[in-house]
Amino acid sequence: MTRYILRRLLLMIPVILLVTIGIFVLIRLEPGDPVLTFAGEDRNPQLLAALRHEYGLDQPLPVQYVIWLSHAVRGDLGRSFQTNQPVVEAMAQRLPATIELGAAALLISIVVSLVVGTLSAVRRNSAVDLLATGVTLVGVSFPSFFLGLILILLFAYVIPGHLLPPGGFVPLTTDVGQNLKRLILPAITLSTLSIAVNMRQVRSSLLEVFGLDYIRTARAKGLSERRVIVRHALKNALIPVVTLIGIQVGSIIEGAFITETIFIWPGVGLLAVQAIPSGDYPVVQGVVLVSALAYMFSTLLVDVLYAWLDPRISYEGAGS
Amino acid sequence: MSAAAGATAVLYAPRSGAGSLRVFLRRNPRLLIGGGVVLILLLAALLAPYISPYDPIATNVQDSLQPPTLRHLLGTDDLGRDVFSRVLWGSRISLSVGVISVAIGFSIGVSTGLLAGYLGGTFDLLAMRVIDALLAFPALVLAISITAALGPQIQNAMIAIGIVAIPGYTRLTRGQVLSVRSQEFITAARTVGASPLRIVLRHIFPNITNTLVVQATLSTAYAILAEAALSFLGLGAQPPTPSWGQDIAYSARYLANLDWWMSAGPGLAIFLAVFSFNFLGDALRDALDPRLRRIA
Repeated sequence: MTRYILRRLLLMIPVILLVTIGIFVLIRLEPGDPVLTFAGEDRNPQLLAALRHEYGLDQPLPVQYVIWLSHAVRGDLGRSFQTNQPVVEAMAQRLPATIELGAAALLISIVVSLVVGTLSAVRRNSAVDLLATGVTLVGVSFPSFFLGLILILLFAYVIPGHLLPPGGFVPLTTDVGQNLKRLILPAITLSTLSIAVNMRQVRSSLLEVFGLDYIRTARAKGLSERRVIVRHALKNALIPVVTLIGIQVGSIIEGAFITETIFIWPGVGLLAVQAIPSGDYPVVQGVVLVSALAYMFSTLLVDVLYAWLDPRISYEGAGS
Repeated sequence: MSAAAGATAVLYAPRSGAGSLRVFLRRNPRLLIGGGVVLILLLAALLAPYISPYDPIATNVQDSLQPPTLRHLLGTDDLGRDVFSRVLWGSRISLSVGVISVAIGFSIGVSTGLLAGYLGGTFDLLAMRVIDALLAFPALVLAISITAALGPQIQNAMIAIGIVAIPGYTRLTRGQVLSVRSQEFITAARTVGASPLRIVLRHIFPNITNTLVVQATLSTAYAILAEAALSFLGLGAQPPTPSWGQDIAYSARYLANLDWWMSAGPGLAIFLAVFSFNFLGDALRDALDPRLRRIA
């Protein structure tokens, strides 16, 4: 197992290097003088020249890349054009909000798809099953930003009593109740796509497991149906779902950009989106780099979890 | 030999032209429904200049914020522009982004996949690492990053969405090539002395078109959704050009006044377009790929 993890980490190195080259190229494609990123408000020509030298911008591009990478590795992704704040610091401030929203969405997605997916597999062709299939069909095609607006319209304006605020954020440490009130709508919006995908997967892998001999044996032993489903069937049916949840982490990261924008939820996604119109590229690409790294490591984590859950899978000597 | 390979490759096993197409469609009614809706959408986009009741850009302030009526089927926005006309014109942007970005992803992705699968070796290794790097980004984040770097314009959104689509085609094509490559008719073609290029284009490619047609349909759905998301974030078409995603972002400020129709039109249009391409893609997969057909 340790060998497998080490192998995977080693295989990730060339991919991470390519990713950083890609982001470096994107940064250089952008209009504007990158030195101004570091210099901020100070436009003293001598200082600019010194900075240009310090950051190696008078060097050929491959050398520049190595210098940029060595800064990036040490957590220096440049400064925001707008606020002159180091990009890493700005992201660190916004990260808790994004993690809270992402975790809430993932939790909703897992609970709903497990419960509804199981119900629709157990009661095949029932009303629950039909409804779940409908939600799956519609959910994968429904634009999340449109759903978010509908939810705001309903819960903040149309339904009497203004049940939930239309957006905004109160830190968890300030007021738990107000924080959760503002969390509900964005978390639902962000989880919808995952629910649609996961629910179908739970249903179909449960149906597959139901046809296996050991389930018949469990039933023949006289176990209660509930015990057969929870203790025997679900345990095996969930293995493919774990992989899927790993993929959902990607869709939750990208969904955060949109959901945070709709609900003015001050996370990393909103930070990047607000930086775009003002041409604050260091912020945009910093967020992109961190998103890619987070996505890669979550994929790795899921693969490891998968190997641990299913002892039949041996990754010894398996190719990339 | 190539004729035999060709016969399995065309979209359906043809007996005689139009008659067999009719039989094929009757056996797969979902294709007819999905294809019909997609066709209507394409026609609406093509004919928008002739069938849209109003100018989508000209403002008309005394008609502003009208709820849906017979005069304005989907109501009007704050500047008195007819939402229905804007939705019709917006379909031109969405569908052209769908078609062009899929063309970009398809041509680059499929040719890379064909080469990687057929040549193997160093090219395969390098190409697949680049594909891994592209897949290391969440798709929409990569599209946002590329569009932001190139500048917020609809052409750049097309390029970005096209690049994001490349890995799907490459992986699919490469996998198919690897499985077709070892079959006997390829060995036979090689024995007869066919050049590698001829083998790839005449013998391998026709055998994977079914899978690619399905992938292209599904990725058009994704491209339309991604364009709407980029436009929603201000990275796609710029005002006053009618665009579904951007119109929804614009309408958000009128939500508190309960002027729901401003976003309802474009929102439902996005859903309808994405849904019908997804529906058609699923139907095509079931009809063209017997291995995936579910025994329901």
